[in-house]
Amino acid sequence: MRVQDLAQLSTRMFKTNPLRTWLTILGMGVGTGAVVVLVGLGFGLQKIILEQIVFGETLLSLGVSATGAQGLTLTSETLTDFENMDEVLDASPLARFPALITYKGLTGNVFVQGVEPPYLRYAGIAASAGTAFTDEDAGDANSIMLSPAVLKLFGIDEPDEFIGERVSLRLLVPADDGTDVINEVIIDKEYTVRGVTKEEGVLNAMMMMPELRNYVGIEEFERIQVRVDTNQNLPIVEERLIGLGYRVSALSKTVEQASKIFQGVQAVLATFGGIALLVSAIGMFNTMTVTLLERTKEIGIMRTLGASPNDVKYLFVSESIVVGFMGGVSGIVMGVSLGVAVNVFLNLLASQFGGQAVALFSFPLTFLLFIALFSAAVGYLTGIFPARRASKLNPLDAIRYE
Amino acid sequence: MAKPLIVCRDLSIIYNKGKSNEFKALTGVNTDIFEGEYIILFGPSGCGKSTLMYSIQGSLPPGEGTLLIRGDDIYSYPPSERVYFQRYVMGIIFQSFNLIGSLSVLDNVALPMIFCNSDKITRNRRAQSLLDRFGVGHVSHKIPAMLSGGQQQRVSVARSMVNDPKILLADEPTGNLDSVSTQQVMDKIDEINTFDRRTIIMVSHNAAHLSYAHRVYYLKDGRIIREVVNPQRKQIKPVREGETIVTELEQLARLYPYDSIDTLRVKSMVNFLTQTLTFDQIVRLEHATELFIKGKVDKEAFIKSLSLPFERGGVEIPETQARKMAVMADRMIHQADDIRRFRAKKDNAGVFFSQHKLAERLRDHLLQAYRLKLNKEQDDHLVEMIADRVTGVSEDNEFNERLMVTVKNGGLGLAESEADDLTRYFEKIIAQGVDVSYKN
Repeated sequence: MRVQDLAQLSTRMFKTNPLRTWLTILGMGVGTGAVVVLVGLGFGLQKIILEQIVFGETLLSLGVSATGAQGLTLTSETLTDFENMDEVLDASPLARFPALITYKGLTGNVFVQGVEPPYLRYAGIAASAGTAFTDEDAGDANSIMLSPAVLKLFGIDEPDEFIGERVSLRLLVPADDGTDVINEVIIDKEYTVRGVTKEEGVLNAMMMMPELRNYVGIEEFERIQVRVDTNQNLPIVEERLIGLGYRVSALSKTVEQASKIFQGVQAVLATFGGIALLVSAIGMFNTMTVTLLERTKEIGIMRTLGASPNDVKYLFVSESIVVGFMGGVSGIVMGVSLGVAVNVFLNLLASQFGGQAVALFSFPLTFLLFIALFSAAVGYLTGIFPARRASKLNPLDAIRYE
Repeated sequence: MAKPLIVCRDLSIIYNKGKSNEFKALTGVNTDIFEGEYIILFGPSGCGKSTLMYSIQGSLPPGEGTLLIRGDDIYSYPPSERVYFQRYVMGIIFQSFNLIGSLSVLDNVALPMIFCNSDKITRNRRAQSLLDRFGVGHVSHKIPAMLSGGQQQRVSVARSMVNDPKILLADEPTGNLDSVSTQQVMDKIDEINTFDRRTIIMVSHNAAHLSYAHRVYYLKDGRIIREVVNPQRKQIKPVREGETIVTELEQLARLYPYDSIDTLRVKSMVNFLTQTLTFDQIVRLEHATELFIKGKVDKEAFIKSLSLPFERGGVEIPETQARKMAVMADRMIHQADDIRRFRAKKDNAGVFFSQHKLAERLRDHLLQAYRLKLNKEQDDHLVEMIADRVTGVSEDNEFNERLMVTVKNGGLGLAESEADDLTRYFEKIIAQGVDVSYKN
């Protein structure tokens, strides 16, 4: 039998039995729709988390800080030691001093951080507004980046509005003679705000290390970001540093854990969706079996007219594939529309209440393609058994079936 | 003629073998069917005629024996290859048409070609031309349910021919049809046999179709009980001289298809003992009488057809006798009209006067036919008896007995032979005049 004839013969049910056919498709659609929505939710959640984390070098970096307990400090020598490790490509420090920041007469407490440009890459610091420091800005002496909390301090709601504003700083430097005296170092110039970071809950002002050194001597670093060469060496270096008594944090671990959690969440969601799909597949199987009984006589007629057992089988299988695939497509339409609707609704809410807009549902194209193919496969599976039975019917018994 | 197209040797088919409901549908069947033959498998229902046909068709593997089609044992092929025979060698027509309701008439006819991978244009052209040939081309776009039974069966004939098969199998093709459609379909099948030279194997239990066939296989209880050659058709199967001769029994077998050979022998003997006419003459006489009763020929034409020599299509009865027969028949037909009127009045209820008059007329006729003279009392009694008999109050034997009862007791007091003759004659008239005697 030719494919186009097969297609014509196996889509007759839309004409002869439209209600049942569409209901079966709807049943399959609801099942696959449930899978699409739930897995889409999993994808969405994962994406929300991972979008916040910068990939690449950040994942291959370790944040090292001194625990203080064993009298360990991070100094220029430590930095050199780290850099000299075989597995380490580079190490970039961060120095920190308390400071007072003044903007249009308002003054607040912040921490001034002095860094070199690679630090931003290794620590995964990016700008939510304006621009971040890049390698070209190593000698920059006029701009700083602020954390969002600093803007709140000044009552600024829109970070973008604050870009280009000018602020002045006074550093609070502890005296190096061992007393508790704190010297105030006034920096007699104004800095331009070039960017706003994404760090929540901290009051930070970040400038380039050389600029900071102009006003204060730096003996100790608050933190050093160590860039390890490969993923495999990451745990080795981590182990060694912890052995030396440092506190080490690795973003890659967090990401890994988050991914694992979300894989779990996705699996749970997919299981619920899968149950829905299973129920609808059983329903479809039932329909196909009833269809077989109903069409027994027709099968007998076709067989006596020269249809081979395989012709009969193909007819049934292609019919159920059509129903399955249509069910899948309708499920995708239903699921995606629901997800998109919820997204739009959430965004609407977010803009109303001033929160951050998030896409709770995400539907990667490959996933949708997979679902379409998968539902066709489910159709095939539900059709193959009735089809096999149909092909094995004795034509004479079939033709006398009423 | 060389080898037969279909050969069955000691063919047996058993349903549900080994189970408690085992049933032997065919036992030791031997047939040779030659190319171009028109074969009818005839017998009562359950005799195995359909079983034999479906076995030839390829849907029922024989339990024992051999079945060869064109020298091939089709059951030696797997089902996937056996379909070759169903596609290109055999076409099939069913009693219940078996068209597929969800396909148009055209697609139904083209369906066997779909299984042969032929392209749409070719098969639609072929299907349409066949539909045109069988007189249903104008409904090709409709679905089968919109067609009459006769049309559906002609569509089904077209479908059976679409792959130009060598053999046409028909399973009681006219079983669900009215007489006009039956005639059309039988004519088309006959045309396929005589004009297209296709071999026809038809299952039937309608004796009226037997004259179409070259040969008829009579089946009973799963066996072929006799094979009857139709002497009116030129035989294709080679008959060796002296092996079989055509006898009167063959002719009788067609007249009385349900009777056994023994009964046919009895009939042949009784015919000779009681009648001067042969069965051929009787058949002609019956035909002529039928036309006369229906009023399709007048008295003179009836006499002529009776008296004409046999070679010229008559019954070959001497003219004086023929004339007598015609007068008698004519009179009976007229009297039968009175019976009919009488019964019609009865149904209308109540107008006794004219009904009484009709009964009197019937009485007068009977008396005249038997030249009887009765007194007033007897006359009244007879009228009453006639009315009772025609309305169905009394039966023929009661009527007969009352004729012999004394006048005092309400009868006529006739002698037994007189009473018997009168009863017989009257019953003949009633038989002519009562339309639906089985009416409940």
